[in-house]
Amino acid sequence: MTPHLADTPVLTTERLTLRAPAPRDADAFIRFFTSERSRFVGGPKTPREAWNFFGTEIGHWALRGYGLFTVTRTGEDRALGMVGHWFPLGWAETEIGWLIFDAADEGTGIAREAAAACVAHAWGPLGWTSVVSYIDHGNDRSVALAEKLGARLDPDAPQPATSKGETVLVYRHPRPESVA
Amino acid sequence: MSVQPTGGTVVEIPTFETARLRLRAPRWDDFDTYVAFLASPRSEGVGGPYTRDEAFPRFCTLIGHWHMRGYGRWLVADRETDAPLGIVGPMFPEGWPEPEIAWSVFDGAEGRGIAHEAALFARAYAYDVLGWATVISCTAPGNTRSEALARRMGAVHDGVCQHPHGPLTVWRHPAPAAVREGAA
Repeated sequence: MTPHLADTPVLTTERLTLRAPAPRDADAFIRFFTSERSRFVGGPKTPREAWNFFGTEIGHWALRGYGLFTVTRTGEDRALGMVGHWFPLGWAETEIGWLIFDAADEGTGIAREAAAACVAHAWGPLGWTSVVSYIDHGNDRSVALAEKLGARLDPDAPQPATSKGETVLVYRHPRPESVA
Repeated sequence: MSVQPTGGTVVEIPTFETARLRLRAPRWDDFDTYVAFLASPRSEGVGGPYTRDEAFPRFCTLIGHWHMRGYGRWLVADRETDAPLGIVGPMFPEGWPEPEIAWSVFDGAEGRGIAHEAALFARAYAYDVLGWATVISCTAPGNTRSEALARRMGAVHDGVCQHPHGPLTVWRHPAPAAVREGAA
């Protein structure tokens, strides 16, 4: 028997399929996290650290029951990035995070499309009572995306305990009217 | 926040039993014991001590390793009570010199041959199930108990490897044929 993630949901949107991370995604993940592109999301890391962090993403699924999905275009399997639900110890609130591996895939709206599906999944099946996105100062692209999703900066929100001890921008996603 | 871990999603990890032990998947209810281990001076050999927050990604990666490599370290539990006693198994994270049988025993579980019993199983699993032709174990400088276990398993000194936490002593285990013949 090959160890594998079981019972993970698959989310589909107009263009995308969000599935559980798989070992075949590791190379793209490590390329991203060893590059400057990861500077706003905890990187750059060494290859060892990036590999371990991919393991953390998977273990988070096992321990929390949810995690970041690998984002693919429906019908293709190439990992474009990771978007989803993140709640490590030290986080003040449950978060939706996103990252796109290659610059060539930016500007196509895939992060927004995937994140919107994850926001709905958080309020719906996951039953979260609050949804935030933590964004590094200076990450203007992510701020723009959070605002497109309807999230607003919450200056009074509690800060997560980040590894580098720096403060982050807390964007709070509004509770949809359909959720009591 | 009131979100509790659900455990609804699992990485399927095979479970085995030895005379006194159960080798199984790490679970959320093992986490406090793991945190206590990583917070104690006993974790210096693995780069510690670590805080509870810092223990979380490490515990996650323990599970993720199984998914990425197809094998990994088990949570070693008491066969009768299922209490967590340590972490033992084959591992090969990125940047490691070669695949290893690794062992850590939690506070209060030392001196009962638990690491030995689990490590013997892990080595046999690496040879017989994973098909490895050779395997090492690494020990931190001054970890005399771990060195003694490596020797007890018939492993011999085979140089030093560099780890971000510092140099580690490499021990090479007897080859599969020697182990199967009962030489070690």
